[in-house]
Amino acid sequence: MAHPTSFADLENNTFGAAFLKDGYVITSVEDPASLDAIRNLIVRTAAEFLYLDTPNDPDIFLNNVHKHVHVEKLNGLRLACIQAIRTADWFRPSYASLAYVALTALTGNELAMQRGIGLSVQLPNDKSSLLAIHADTWDGDSPYEVVQWVPIVNCFKTKSMYIVPRDVDRALQKDLSKGRFHTAEDIFLAVKDDVIFLDVPYGSVLLFSQTIAHGNRINVEPTTRWSMNCRFKSILSPYIDKKLGEFFEPISIRPATRLGLDYKLPGRFDG
Amino acid sequence: MAELQGHRGYIGSRSYFGDRTPQHVQNLVVRDFCQRNGLLFLISATEYIMDGCYVMLEEVMTELPKIDGIVLYSIFMLPTDAGHRQDIYRRVLSAEVDISGAVENLRIQSEADIQTVEDIWAIKNITESDISEIKNLARIIDTE
Repeated sequence: MAHPTSFADLENNTFGAAFLKDGYVITSVEDPASLDAIRNLIVRTAAEFLYLDTPNDPDIFLNNVHKHVHVEKLNGLRLACIQAIRTADWFRPSYASLAYVALTALTGNELAMQRGIGLSVQLPNDKSSLLAIHADTWDGDSPYEVVQWVPIVNCFKTKSMYIVPRDVDRALQKDLSKGRFHTAEDIFLAVKDDVIFLDVPYGSVLLFSQTIAHGNRINVEPTTRWSMNCRFKSILSPYIDKKLGEFFEPISIRPATRLGLDYKLPGRFDG
Repeated sequence: MAELQGHRGYIGSRSYFGDRTPQHVQNLVVRDFCQRNGLLFLISATEYIMDGCYVMLEEVMTELPKIDGIVLYSIFMLPTDAGHRQDIYRRVLSAEVDISGAVENLRIQSEADIQTVEDIWAIKNITESDISEIKNLARIIDTE
């Protein structure tokens, strides 16, 4: 058996190289049964909110929900679904299971997970659910986080989110404080020809560094976007405005860390 | 007629006058303010963390022709520059909408309301600088 010749040989590098190069990776979910269960929960909740029978085909229902809900009721629908996923005790472990191996390869094997998972529902041509261009670090997130973005319908073109290519993003963020940009739309216009709308079909997961500028635009596709997002980070990496406890919760603490947390150094010698 | 018929929330990710409130708590306060005042809440814009940055506030200002108003978590999230604040008030009232501070339960719907908010700003400015001076003084005494 060959010996490792570098420490890199000891690591799972399947995702690392692509993540470092592009700032994101798109891969198949590791636990498709959990994804189906999550989708079914959302479908049941949405149908109930809209006084509809539970549909036979969840994909057709979710893609066409704009035929049953007006934009004024959209936030109510979104909040009902968020309430359902936040009260299901199996939801968060199942959500983490969708890309757990990839997450640990990218962030570390002791993880903190965002407590409240985000849900986006973007109806065709709806202007009310737009997320202006931003890097989450501009909103108080630590640069050590990874976003796990999971579509529950096929997401593509303007039905998906966009990300700014890394080289363009570096130049953009360098210029940001120089007074060139008055509004977030000004920032988007500076990079609009470069942004990449990510093709993320149902059954796959997008993991991206939220240090990179991203956002969404009006969904001009004929079907509705449904996607979830949640941030993960190494427990012992720095926190900024999104604190451990109020925003993040530890989900995996290794034995040596636990012993270290419990350890008390003997006191001062008094002679 | 406003296209979205609602009030846009506005929260922040940095501290203002040394006060920091978690974003989800800011959102709760903004939502509660909207509910108590019968306003339709539109999902909040979050100001960037960088000091002196009002990019997201200006982004929300571009929506004024389409919305009924803005609900800030706090009036102290308005620009520190008094001229910039006056410009915000002028544009809001010209658009015939309103701007509010949820935690202070203050609504600016007229010129008279502006004066109330500016009085609070002026007092905050001097009391906060007094606190800084007291802290500086305490540090000097400590080191002597």
